Amino acid sequence: MKRTLTICPYCGTGCALWLLTENGRAVGVEPVREHPVSRGGLCVKGWNAAAFINHPERLKTPLVRKDGVLTPATWDEALDRVVSGIRDLQRLHGNDAMMFASSAKATNEENYLLMKLARAVFGTNNIDHCARLCHSSTVTGLAQTFGSGAMTNSVDSIEHADLIFVIGSNTTEQHPLIGTRILKAVQNGAKLIVADNRLIRLARHADIHIRHKNGSDVALLLAMMNQIQTDGLADQEFIESRTEGFAEFQDSFASWTPQAAAAITGVDPSVMADAARLYASAKSALIFYSMGITQHSHGVDNVRCVAALAMMTGNLGREGAGVCPLRGQNNVQGGCDMGALPDLYSGYQKVADPLVRDKFAKVWGCELPSNPGLPLTHAMNAAHDGKIKGMFIMGENPALSDPDQNHAMEALKSLDLLVVQDIFLTETAQLAHVVLPAACYGEKDGTFTNTERRIQLLHKALEPPGEARADWEIVCELACRAGCQGMNYASTAEIMAEAASLTPIYGGVSHERLTLAGLQWPCPASDHSGTPILHRENFTRGKGKFIPVSYRPPMEEPDADYPLMLTTGRTYFHWHTGSMTRRTHLLDREERRSFVEISPIDAASHGIREGGRVTIVSRRGEVTAFARVTGSALPGVLFIPFHFAEGAANVLTNNQLDPESHIPEFKVCAVRIGAAP
Amino acid sequence: MKILDSSGLTDFLATVDREFNLTLPVIDASGCRIYGTLQAGTPALHGGALLAKPTSLFFPQEEDVHVEGGGDSEPPPEKQLLAIGFTPKDLLCLGFIDRFFSDGFRDDIYFRRRQGALIAAVSGYVGADGGFIPPAFGNCDFEFIFDGKNWIINPYSEAGRGIAALIPYDAPIDALSQVMAEVERYVDEDAAIIKKASQILMADLVPDSFWEEIAASCILCTGCNLVCPTCTCFGVRDWRDADGFSRSRMWDSCQLDGFAREAGGHNPLGTEALRTRRRIHHKLAADMTKWGEMGCFTCGRCDAVCPTGIGIVAVARKMVERFQHNLS
Repeated sequence: MKRTLTICPYCGTGCALWLLTENGRAVGVEPVREHPVSRGGLCVKGWNAAAFINHPERLKTPLVRKDGVLTPATWDEALDRVVSGIRDLQRLHGNDAMMFASSAKATNEENYLLMKLARAVFGTNNIDHCARLCHSSTVTGLAQTFGSGAMTNSVDSIEHADLIFVIGSNTTEQHPLIGTRILKAVQNGAKLIVADNRLIRLARHADIHIRHKNGSDVALLLAMMNQIQTDGLADQEFIESRTEGFAEFQDSFASWTPQAAAAITGVDPSVMADAARLYASAKSALIFYSMGITQHSHGVDNVRCVAALAMMTGNLGREGAGVCPLRGQNNVQGGCDMGALPDLYSGYQKVADPLVRDKFAKVWGCELPSNPGLPLTHAMNAAHDGKIKGMFIMGENPALSDPDQNHAMEALKSLDLLVVQDIFLTETAQLAHVVLPAACYGEKDGTFTNTERRIQLLHKALEPPGEARADWEIVCELACRAGCQGMNYASTAEIMAEAASLTPIYGGVSHERLTLAGLQWPCPASDHSGTPILHRENFTRGKGKFIPVSYRPPMEEPDADYPLMLTTGRTYFHWHTGSMTRRTHLLDREERRSFVEISPIDAASHGIREGGRVTIVSRRGEVTAFARVTGSALPGVLFIPFHFAEGAANVLTNNQLDPESHIPEFKVCAVRIGAAP
Repeated sequence: MKILDSSGLTDFLATVDREFNLTLPVIDASGCRIYGTLQAGTPALHGGALLAKPTSLFFPQEEDVHVEGGGDSEPPPEKQLLAIGFTPKDLLCLGFIDRFFSDGFRDDIYFRRRQGALIAAVSGYVGADGGFIPPAFGNCDFEFIFDGKNWIINPYSEAGRGIAALIPYDAPIDALSQVMAEVERYVDEDAAIIKKASQILMADLVPDSFWEEIAASCILCTGCNLVCPTCTCFGVRDWRDADGFSRSRMWDSCQLDGFAREAGGHNPLGTEALRTRRRIHHKLAADMTKWGEMGCFTCGRCDAVCPTGIGIVAVARKMVERFQHNLS
């Protein structure tokens, strides 16, 4: 039995684990007591992170579509088909007819390489990844307000907070080892406010539970700020010395008394006022948020309000005081850091800045395109409209994860060239012209960056199955075949060395320096020990900026035809489109079919019983699922997880985007429900 | 009895490593203390129980039960397993599951790893932060007892005596006098708490509301089960691929809804509170009835692994604080 230290492939918490192997097979997991984040704990997914690795359905050979059928092929044939396919369509339609989707499940090194491949080899900035679907609102909103779109504090900060405000995050289920830190803080006397209309586990421990309507976060947060100002609880000194724009921002909340907001939020004004007072009275308060804040057509405004609430009360730049967007995927932070974004190179350096462009062009030895590329969500629309002709998708499954699935499927099917690089034949890979088999997390080296900006090393524990290769090896091979001489690397450490040389916030990072505790960026120099807390003396942008907002309702609200509100998300036992967790025996056993949470009141009025098959219909389509009648659901609101291809929540969701972050409104759409025939 | 200083211990471990398939606590390059080989790190017998359960040597998280065309058993390892690092409480746990896997029905899959394995305990002043762990004085082949300065090697079986004979230095006759004095003074608070909690449970003095309160903090990580050296429940998974069919078994957790869910969908343990109650009731009450002893030897692992502080000793302590006054 061999133990290899690596990092969990599921959420952004970044727990370390020992991957146990025997005779070349993954056979178990052990937690790591010495790890600063997980401290010897794991969630149920982490404990089962070995179980899918040797699954018989792992892709073991390249596949090329021949006569309409995906057929095993050699690497030579598959890679040549990819390179010639991209070159052909770019020759006909221009470089920007190609879209590259990188992966928040892949390593930093692989994200860096794919964005280099797109830009330096194939001459397009059309590179993005699933951060577009989860925290693009954060990247946009916090960059404008603080100067850095990342979690301001470390997980350890929880122990220094005397109040924790969780809004739009089911933390014990989606970031379990952070959720449990919050639970422990509450056991030790910290106050807890939870704003989420589902009766999530944290809500059972909360001092105040706010069950506001989906899509009313701006109204709720403005009402809290209104109350804080009325009560004189704002931190004037912090506002004056550390921020700008507060005078103009006050107009945003001036009319939003809790009484005024109640009509929008559906919450008793006194509850909002009490929450405001409790938050503002804390010496050190942390805000945790996630998709409940970001996945809205006004996601950036939500983020601005969260940032404003923290700045208004001086809750930033200190241990125990900050704003903590919880990043979803194991390496979604790293995917963004490494520039798998259409307008940014690694380290959030702007494509539009000629000095930055020159810097990258010199090191990469090529000309670089100057026009920012397409966000993933726009690219899918462009494919649907016939303007994007090819997509290279590394480790993502938009056929199931994008909003309005029928639209996404039509878009993917319309492509002249679809290349999918993955570990299983996902719903997206099934549509591909070429499928490239990749190594999973246990089969390669590299780094992931967790939600608190901690760059951590993973170590190869076993060989990939069959002919599968690490993503970075495949990308390098593609570059080589496309005629690029600058993408030969002997190891992932070499890739990181190049990335670090071009990326100031990673400037001091090298594999050699990464011990068990990793390094938290910014880490600009090789003698820099990393940065657990951002914005201590100054904000990254200098002064924190209050940016005015105004309430906008969701793009689709319940009406006579579709009288219920649908919100979507994940469950504890599954991960995203289930390609790994649905192939994990115990996790699959726990949740093996699509369900819809419905309140007892709504169930009764629609003649729906617990466990019964129901049909849910939106303007985009309909799905069937099994009813879960629960007091956790607010009357009028349904919840469906998006893991299940059968009963796919995203058949129903609304492909309406935030105008600035281009994130879809996964959290709100209008539906009707009835017992299935 | 034999005696070794720390450099003598290093030499001795290198010697037995040549003869045996040696596994022991080591500190690896990352600075973590884990079970491993001498090649994986530096021996680290100090520090008390490791988080991972030592019984996983014989009952691993996942293993093949049957592979089509592959035969039902693996070839025996070239060298005999010598597992160093069990605490005396771990030995009690091992005895508990040895009995479980052989009582009435002998579990061949367990014994293909367990059969012939040599076990060595570690005790004395080796606990976390130098704390004292009372020696086992049995239940294994031999024992490393640290008296604060030297290692006393105490053999209990024929094989153990053979291994100890490799050491040229006989321990003085009073080598364990300090340790024995410490044993006299030692009070095992955790064991006393668990025993009291068992009495409370057996007397049915714990209301449902208590279990609801405990379960509210449980995130279903399953860690308590998966690090417990006396937990023996497993699930069975079948895979079919181009090479044929294989069946394996893997650790299961009674904290999960699917554990007791019936085929028709009904679950007699359908709430977190019921499952939490059942888990602790099983260890502290049902095992008493079935085996005459509890299924918890307070090894401390579930308390260490639980991210929300509701390991069995912590829960037992709450139980005792609240309900012991009702014990007659």
